[in-house]
Parts: sequence; C-alpha cells; structure tokens
Amino acid sequence: MLIVKDLVKTYPNGTQALKGVSFEVEEGEFLAVIGLSGSGKSTLLRCINRLIEPTSGTILWNDIDITAAKGKEIRLIRRQIGMIFQQFNLVKRSSVNTNVLSGRLGYVPTFPSLLHTFSKADHERARSNLAMVGLEDKAHVRADSLSGGQQQRVGIARALMQEPKIILADEPVASLDPVLAHSILKYLEQLNKERGITVLCSLHFLDLVHRYATRAIALKDGQVVFKGLPSEIDDKQFKEIYGQDAERIEIS
Amino acid sequence: MTSTSKQKSNIMKSTLFAPLLSLIIPGSGQMALKKSWRGFTLLIITAVLAFLVEWGLKYYEIGKMTIGGWTTSWLWIPLILFWLWNVFDAYLLSKQKTAPVIVAVLLAAAVLYLIAWIVTDINLDRLVTRFDAAKTVATKVVNPDYFKVYQNGEYKVCGWKCLWEYVSAKVKGEPAPLVSLSDNVGDIFGRKGTITATWWEKLTRGARIGERIPGFETGKLIETIAIGLMATIFSTILAIPVSFLAAHNVMSHVPGGKVIYYIVRTLLNIVRAVDTVVWGLLIIVWVGLGSFAGVIALTIHSVAALAKLFSEEIEHIDPGPVEAIEATGGNFFQVIRYAVIPQIIPSFLSYTLLRWDINMRSATVIGFVAGGGIGFFVLETIRVGGYQQYAAALWAVAVVIILVDLISSKWRNRILEDKPRAAQKTTWSKIRSLIYIILGVAAFIYCWNVTSINLKNLFNPGVTFGRLLKDFVSIDLSPSVLAGVTKQMITTIMQALMATTLGAIVALPFSFLAAKNLTGKSRFSAWIYVITRGVFNVLRSIEALLYVAIFVYWVGIGPFAGMLALAITTFALIGKLFSEAIENIDTGPIEAVTATGANKLQMIFYAIVPQITPPFLSYLIYQWDINIRMATIIGFAGGGGIGLTLNNYFGSLQYHKAGTVVAIIVIVVAILDFTSAKIREKFV
Repeated sequence: MLIVKDLVKTYPNGTQALKGVSFEVEEGEFLAVIGLSGSGKSTLLRCINRLIEPTSGTILWNDIDITAAKGKEIRLIRRQIGMIFQQFNLVKRSSVNTNVLSGRLGYVPTFPSLLHTFSKADHERARSNLAMVGLEDKAHVRADSLSGGQQQRVGIARALMQEPKIILADEPVASLDPVLAHSILKYLEQLNKERGITVLCSLHFLDLVHRYATRAIALKDGQVVFKGLPSEIDDKQFKEIYGQDAERIEIS
Repeated sequence: MTSTSKQKSNIMKSTLFAPLLSLIIPGSGQMALKKSWRGFTLLIITAVLAFLVEWGLKYYEIGKMTIGGWTTSWLWIPLILFWLWNVFDAYLLSKQKTAPVIVAVLLAAAVLYLIAWIVTDINLDRLVTRFDAAKTVATKVVNPDYFKVYQNGEYKVCGWKCLWEYVSAKVKGEPAPLVSLSDNVGDIFGRKGTITATWWEKLTRGARIGERIPGFETGKLIETIAIGLMATIFSTILAIPVSFLAAHNVMSHVPGGKVIYYIVRTLLNIVRAVDTVVWGLLIIVWVGLGSFAGVIALTIHSVAALAKLFSEEIEHIDPGPVEAIEATGGNFFQVIRYAVIPQIIPSFLSYTLLRWDINMRSATVIGFVAGGGIGFFVLETIRVGGYQQYAAALWAVAVVIILVDLISSKWRNRILEDKPRAAQKTTWSKIRSLIYIILGVAAFIYCWNVTSINLKNLFNPGVTFGRLLKDFVSIDLSPSVLAGVTKQMITTIMQALMATTLGAIVALPFSFLAAKNLTGKSRFSAWIYVITRGVFNVLRSIEALLYVAIFVYWVGIGPFAGMLALAITTFALIGKLFSEAIENIDTGPIEAVTATGANKLQMIFYAIVPQITPPFLSYLIYQWDINIRMATIIGFAGGGGIGLTLNNYFGSLQYHKAGTVVAIIVIVVAILDFTSAKIREKFV
C-alpha cells in the first residue's frame, strides 16, 4: 500500500506545486490522477520515485519510507517502480532493443552495462516484453523511426523490464490520437488486472478515467479536491475540479 | 508619499535633471532614468574615446593643434559633440523620446577611425608609389615555382610563358625546352633522398636508429597535413572527458561538481584566448623546435576549443531520456552511457571534423614559430627573397585546404542529417569498415613518424623550461613595459578594426554576386557566381599570416602590411558568409512587397535589407572576434602589433615581459569577447 501524507513541493522560484497532498493507494488499484495542467500531477508522480525532491511530507510504501531514503536506497526503490512518459523519453538514436534493455539497468552491475553486456536472461526478458507489446520485429530498428504509439509501447516494454510493482504513467496518452490512447491504456489495464501491478496514471479525459480507472483523485492548485470512484464525478464535481468555465469533452 | 520623496520625484521628473547629470558624467542621466545599459555604454564609450584621443596625441601627435600656447588635439571637437549629444539624449529621454542614435554612432566612429587610420600607419601614398613593387610580387605569386627549365647553362623557374612554349612545342612535335619538376616541388611534397632511420625503419628494414639510409624525404606539406591530423586526433580524445567536467548538467550531480565546473570552464577560456602560435612559442622551450612542438601547441588549443563546444552539446541534450533512465534505477554512469552519449555522438563527430578543418589551417602557420611544416618552409624562402617558391607553397596549401573543406563539410552534412542506417550490416559493409580501420591505423602510424613525436622529450623538458614557467607567472608590470605593451595592444585592436571594416565594405557588393538566388539564374551570370565563389574560397584557404609577407614587399614592414593581410581574409570569409545569408532569405516578403506595386529599389529596402541585416551584423561581430585573435600574431611575419613584441621578448628570453604580454592579450580578448556577446544579445 502506498501512503502519501502532507506532501509539499515548493520550487526555488517560489512556485508551490504541491500544497499538502495526502491520499492512499491500495495494491492492485488503477488510480487516475486528474486536474488542470499545472495542478501538480506531474510533480506528484515524480515525487513518488524521487525524480523530484519533495520539500516536506512523507511517502510510505508498504514498510519503506521513500522520502527518507538516501543514495543507493533510492535506486533500489526506483527499480521497482516503472515509469512511462508523455514524450515517451526513448533514446532516439539507440535501437528499440537497447532502449528496452536499459529498463533493466537498476538490476545490472555498472561495468558490464557500460559495455552493453546483458545476461541471456535479460535478453530473453527484452524479447518477451517486446512480444507482449507486439513489437518483436522492430527490435533492431532505431527508436525514432517508430510512430508515436509504437514508441509508447516500447516505453511500456522498458518499464516491464523492471518487473515493477508500481507503474507511474505521466500523461502517457496525451500525445496520441483517441484510438491509440485506448490501445495504450488497454495494455496498462492488462498489466494491472493480469499481473496485479498498481498503476498511477495522470489523464486529461474523463471518458478514459471512467473506462479504465478503479479510483480517482483530482488535484487543483496543488491540493486534493476529490477522492473517490470515477463514477462519483458528476457535473458539480467536474466544475469544482476544472473550474466554472470548463466543459466536458467526450473522446470515444 | 512623504514630502521629501515627493520632492525627489518632482526633481526626477523635471526635464533638466537628467541632462544635467549627463553633462557632468556622460550616461549618468540615462542611468537615472532607468536606461542603465544605454547610460553605461555611453559612459564607457566616452571614457575610451577620451583616453584614445589623449593617448593618440601623446604617442602619435594625432590631430595636434596649438591654440595660444596650449597644445591639444582637434579630435576633442567630435568628442565634445558626442558629449553634447548624450546631454540632448538625456533631455529627450525624460520626455519619453530618444535622440537619433546614428548621430552618436557617426561621431564616435569618426574619432575611432581617424585614430585607427594613423595608428595602423595607413599610407595611401605608399600604395601608389610602390605600386611597381606590388606588380613585381604579384607577377611572382602567379608564377609559382613548380617547374624548372634548363636555359643557357643554368636552371630558371619555368612560369606560364615557358610552360606554354613547352606544351605547344610538344604538340607540334618540335624540340621542346628542357622542362622538369623543380627542386621546390621536392621540398614541398617530398622526394627520394636520404633520411635518418627511426624506429619505423628499424622495424621494417632492420636499419640502425640514426643511420642515414635512402628513403622518401617527406615534403613540408605532407608534414603539415600530418601535424593537423595528429593534433585533431589527440585533442578529440582529450577533450571528451574534459567536456563532461565543463558541462553544468552533469557536474551538478557530482559532489563538489559546481566548483570543478567553474574552474574547468575558466581554464578552458584562458587557454582558448591564447592563440595556437603563441602556445608554439611556449612549447618550443619544452620540447625544442620541430613538428612535435607544433602538434603539442595545436593540441592544447584544440582541446580547449573542442571541450567548450562538446560541453555545450552535453548541456543541450533532451532531458527526457535522462529522466527515463534515472527512473529505472540506473546510476550516474549508466545514465551517461545510455541517455547522454547516444544523444551527443552526431554533434561530437561534426565538431571534430570542423576542428580538423581549423587545425589544418593552423598547421600551415604554426611552423612560423615552432618549426616544422610549411610555415617554417615559407619563413625560410621569404628570408632569401624566394617569392616564387613561396607562391608555390601557398598554391599547394590552397588546394589542400579547399579539399579538406570539401571533405569536412560533406561529411558533416551527412552526419547531421542523421538518417537511420539500414538495420543489418552486410558482410561487404563489415569488410569495408575493416579496410577503413586498417587504413586509418596505417595513416596514424605514418603521421606519428613524420611529425617526429617523441614522448621521451615530453617528460624531459628543456633546460630553460623551468625558468620560463617561473618567470612567466611573475609578470613584469613596470611602467615602461606596460606603456609599450599597451601601445602595441591598441595598435593590434585598431588593425583588427580597420581590417574588419575594409574587408566587409569591399566584400558587400561581391557577396551579392556570389548569392545563387541572385546571380545563378542566367547562363552568363552563373559564371560570375562560380568565379566570385571560387575567389572567396581560394583567398579563404590561406591564413592571414601567410599574406603578410606579400604586403610587406609592397608597403614595407609594419601595421599597414598586417592590416591589409587581415583585410584579405576578412573579405573572403565575410563575402562567403554574407552571400550565404542572402541565399537564405525568405522569398515571401519579396513577393508581398512586389505585389503592392513597389519598384525594385523599394523592394530591396523593404523586403531584402531587413532580412539580411541581423545575420550581417552577427557575421561582422564574428569576424571581428576572429580578427582580434589573428591580429595578435601577424606581427610574427612583420605585420606589426603585439605579435612582434611577443616574438622579441621570447627570442631574447625575457620571459617576465612575455608573461605580461600574454596576460594582457588574454584579458583584452576576454573583455572584447564579452562585449561582442552582449552586443549580439541586445541588437541581433
């Protein structure tokens, strides 16, 4: 279980991205994080794997205090948390296979990894993860020659290499068309239901939240303004989260 | 508001306060009105100009006039007018208007250029009276010594006329004059002769080291190419680790990294400010005269330049993949290997190729001070007045540099296009790569031998080197030395100023001729385009230092010759850059303006000129930076300026004073670099 308590993040220039965020995530949940751009969604996700340092507050994961971890401990925690990004963040000039293998770096000792030497087991993992996302035949192609949807699938394969217990997804489908968005989220749903991986996913479109998430929290101006089931977000809640002028957009 | 601050703001608002301030201290009024940069610039310009007017009067009697027993310079008049303009500007500023900047620019320019004219010893008279000398040297330059002809019992240089006779005689089947390759060609390219055996000959032919055996004597040009190649290879290898130390985003993840970053960055800037040729002077005390010294000097300077460029590339990478690899739990080195390095490979390769280009050019002149290569060769030929031999060397250099330019830019374009290669490597491509590698290693070994690299000497510095280092850092700051060095430094700066101005003005019309979109259209004008571009390329391929000797023949030793040499390279480089800027303009605005019914001249002023002004200004500043650095070394060939002073001090082993000179050069170059960057920021 992931417990976030009174998380605060203030940037050096004074911007308060998170003003005391508290919530809990049970194992195996698919939690959607919604809110306007700039409400703190990305910051929140990045605090969980310490890519961003919280100013104060605690994040407890089962028995581990993520916020108190130092040095090597942080990396040991990170390798159990997979992350996929809105801009895919693949290394463009490297092959798909190298990108996927780099997901295993948290488990591989430094020296062999610098020489690009991975074990047979790791190569087999890479092959099967690529097969799972349907890109086995693109293994040796340069990452930037793939389409957006394909690149995100490589991102998922890379995260899977970590055999993660949690996957953080920072607006994974914001750069994709509606059909692709559904196909990517279906992968995440599959991982969540079949392998029991907890998913924290920030999303823009409520239809996707209704369709895929088991629970949702909403952020506004760095604070939690809603915690509950997706079905509980009625028009009144909607306007509270997104503001008075917001209108629902359907993407089906 | 309290009453005192109300009074204050009333005073501030009074239209006489600011101009009054500016009357006393130029620029202060502008600064009080919150236009700090404007005010500060005015203050600095006035101070510098005032200093120059007084200095010019003292050392060169510039504008000297006597009014009733009181000696001063009439250059004070435009300066006073400038001062008054600044008062007027402050007055207008307090009314939310500004005075026309063009007036101030013209006044300042008048003072500056007048002083520069005298200091660089521009003497149009001499250009005309010694025109015969110009004709002589010009004839010699276009008749390089490549062939010799045996006539009347002696060998003479076979120029174009002689060659023509030879060819036409051969064609007609008549007896031809006895023409053969001249000895000069052997000096430049190489010949079969005797060499001193080194470890290579020991390995391949079992010779004793130091034995004189028959072999191929490498020509000076081959030596030069080897120097350039070696320097590029060594500097690339060394620059890569250094660049990581100078990359802000990498160093901030290392404990104590910020301090290392600042130290490395400063060191790189200092090393870069000192020209390769000056490094040569230092290095020969360490390892002695020769190609090896040249390689070391070039390498030192290149490492600093490359490390700076490399580190900027590292700082500009996409942070996304870095985040992603961090998120998987990778450590620092894994992040570098998997997220940083793949992103920087194309630009690193591209910069290395660019550096090769630059190093080849520097290699042609490093011989002037360090020995080795064609630089040394031309020094010798000039000494004995062999201008045809000199010309032969220059033409050969031009061909080599143009080839290097072509290869380097073609390769760079291919790398930066960054097209994904075919996934699987065929056997043929694997064999091809192997062949390239073998060739590369062979070339490396050959060049190593040619440049007489002797690592033992590296660790066994010359006797005076310790003394040099000690004296160098305890610089001589006595007034007489400082006054002399200041005088030469100002001369050098003025040379750069005049050369940049002269070169740019002459280049401007020609750059239009060399712009494909303007002259490439009809059959006839295509020739003009090709010829102009060709002239730019040929003139550009030869370093300014090599042109100085030609101008010395015409106008004599001194800053004038040096300035003219710089103007030639300026003309060639600015011409090329300007023409590229013209080729890159957007045709859209031209269409739009023409559609309104404007005539050709109006179209040029409203659609073309505004588009080309920013890049033109930017290129001018770029050329100015280059010329300042070049101007510091043209003195080595008799071109006046601080190079001569430096050469003298080093030659007479007065290392304290040499240290002073180098320190002043570094400081001045740093200040001017900073100013150029600021001007670029604000206006371009």
